[in-house]
Amino acid sequence: MIICTNCKHENLEGTLFCGECGIQVIDLNPIVTHNIPPEQQEQTVLKTTQHLSAPEDLNAWAALHIVDSGQFVPLLDRDEITLGRVSDAQPILPDIDLTPYKAYSNGVSRLHAALKRKGKQVVLSDLGTSNGTYVNGKRLEPNTDQPLQHGDTIVLGNLKLQIFFNNH
Amino acid sequence: MPPDYYEILGVLRNASREEIKKAYLQAAQRLHPDKNKVAGETEIFLDIKQAYETLSNQKLRKKYDSTLPTDKQSNLPIRLKTYYSRPNLLRSDEPQLIYVLLEISPHKNVGEITAPPLNICLVLDRSTSMQGDKMEMLKGAAIKVMRNLRQQDVISMITFSDRAEVVIPATSSYEINRLENRIHMLNPSGSTEIFQGLQAAFDEIKKNSNKDYVDHIILITDGRTYGDEKECLKLAEQASQLGIGISTMGIGKEWNDEFLDTLAKQTGGSSRYISRPEEIQRFLIDKFESLSQTIADNVILEIKIHTGVKMTYAFRTQPETGPLPLKDSIHLGPVLQDTTLNLLFEFRIDPSLTIQDSLTLTQGLLKLNIAARPTPIQPIPIEFSSAIKDEVGNEMPSQLIIQALGKLTLYRMQEKAHRAVEQGNFELASQQMKQLATSLIAWGEQDLANTAFIEAKNIQNERTISGEGSKAIKYGTRALIMAKD
Repeated sequence: MIICTNCKHENLEGTLFCGECGIQVIDLNPIVTHNIPPEQQEQTVLKTTQHLSAPEDLNAWAALHIVDSGQFVPLLDRDEITLGRVSDAQPILPDIDLTPYKAYSNGVSRLHAALKRKGKQVVLSDLGTSNGTYVNGKRLEPNTDQPLQHGDTIVLGNLKLQIFFNNH
Repeated sequence: MPPDYYEILGVLRNASREEIKKAYLQAAQRLHPDKNKVAGETEIFLDIKQAYETLSNQKLRKKYDSTLPTDKQSNLPIRLKTYYSRPNLLRSDEPQLIYVLLEISPHKNVGEITAPPLNICLVLDRSTSMQGDKMEMLKGAAIKVMRNLRQQDVISMITFSDRAEVVIPATSSYEINRLENRIHMLNPSGSTEIFQGLQAAFDEIKKNSNKDYVDHIILITDGRTYGDEKECLKLAEQASQLGIGISTMGIGKEWNDEFLDTLAKQTGGSSRYISRPEEIQRFLIDKFESLSQTIADNVILEIKIHTGVKMTYAFRTQPETGPLPLKDSIHLGPVLQDTTLNLLFEFRIDPSLTIQDSLTLTQGLLKLNIAARPTPIQPIPIEFSSAIKDEVGNEMPSQLIIQALGKLTLYRMQEKAHRAVEQGNFELASQQMKQLATSLIAWGEQDLANTAFIEAKNIQNERTISGEGSKAIKYGTRALIMAKD
């Protein structure tokens, strides 16, 4: 039984969208617990706080613009950042969790794409996903670097993003 | 490559002798040299004869079988792809659901076949209520599509009120000016009796339906028919057996959508809502265009469902969206040249079946005609099955199925609200309509959401739902399923 978080309607196992209120219920499968080694725990906590404080962080080196919702997601100051969505029972978490931006219904994989800083260049690569990664409409070959420019449109599955650099 | 005798006869590789004989007699009846008229059919008949002579003889058949390539998929006329909503079923003591999306597309080399000629009958309502804009727009639309016809197409036209009249008998050699005059002279009068019109259309279509045409009746009305619904549905059943499709279009708010939907879905046709007379032409042209892209028609899915599994919903999400009947023999509508035919099924699985390690939900056959090919096509076996495990796998379902299901859920919410109104449960109906409105906003469908809000209030205060509103919501949510982002 899947109980809808929105309207408390009881849906049969296997339901994807609540029959009563239409909301997506798929990620509400029973939560599987698993152990996180201590060193990873710290990392998780650190990431969460960074993410929470992020919206005010206007000095980030780059930001992702979620086209549909108009929100900006600043990027962490790191040389490699993975994009994806967090779900239960997932051993490797993406650095940027796109779940709040309808990642699931837009077909974003758990580990979808990676942004890398290589000297002055920033590149994007698709991590072998089924729904693909597109830059300005062109589908990327899996695991192949694609250089990015300020304002480029990135589509993960169906989720549309734009990348902006601070010092372009 | 030698001809595939099984394909020529349209039987399966493991067909029994009786089945082979039956297929041969059927084909022979259609194509016997004494009867056929089209050039080349005698040759086809000779192939059929040879196929039968080989396959009906046990020794010859064995020898022939050994020469066949084992890979059959490569010479199928169409391609099938199956998507599941979850990687496996769960071992569980509760009932559960799984969704299956079947995608049917023509094989590349079939795509080059020219589209078959059309055999279409327009059945137009000329009752008093059609007076004015509706009638004038309808005349204009009819003339427009007639001008677009190709030489090989056959057209006929029936008008009906309390009586039916054959305005244009089935013809392919027409003088467009004379036909146009006849259309211009139509005058509305009388009441709406659909059966009369359908019956006359059926007779016109049948004049040519033995040949390789795409047979289709298009019914356009703005009213309710009185007392002859049952006869209409019976006629639709007959039509479906002859491979004649029926599509329906309702103008304005008065017509009976439930009835026209049923009429269409029995035959694999489509049903549309025309809110304003100006839209008649566009819808009619769309319909003709899609019919003239037919690659395969008479597409029928025959399925046997495993005991304990229940097919609880079936819907065509593409090319023309609409519900499908929950039967063991479903007319799916045509496979078109450049759009895939997509079908979405919901299955409910009884917990008693989850003890095993895997489950075959259904087994069946997909039967179809390649319209431009006179020989029957070998029925294609279809199977939906799933593994059963203790945990649900992590694999994500295809985007295609998620998108289709999300929007189909809206359509089904609308159905639920309607059912509640019919049962007199207005409180619940109003609440469900509000839920739908909220969801529609989330999907960015502001206009449709407004209509749903208005109807929710309407149900609450007036204890009724308006004809326009309910149709706008029903066909509006249905159209969302088709819309591509």
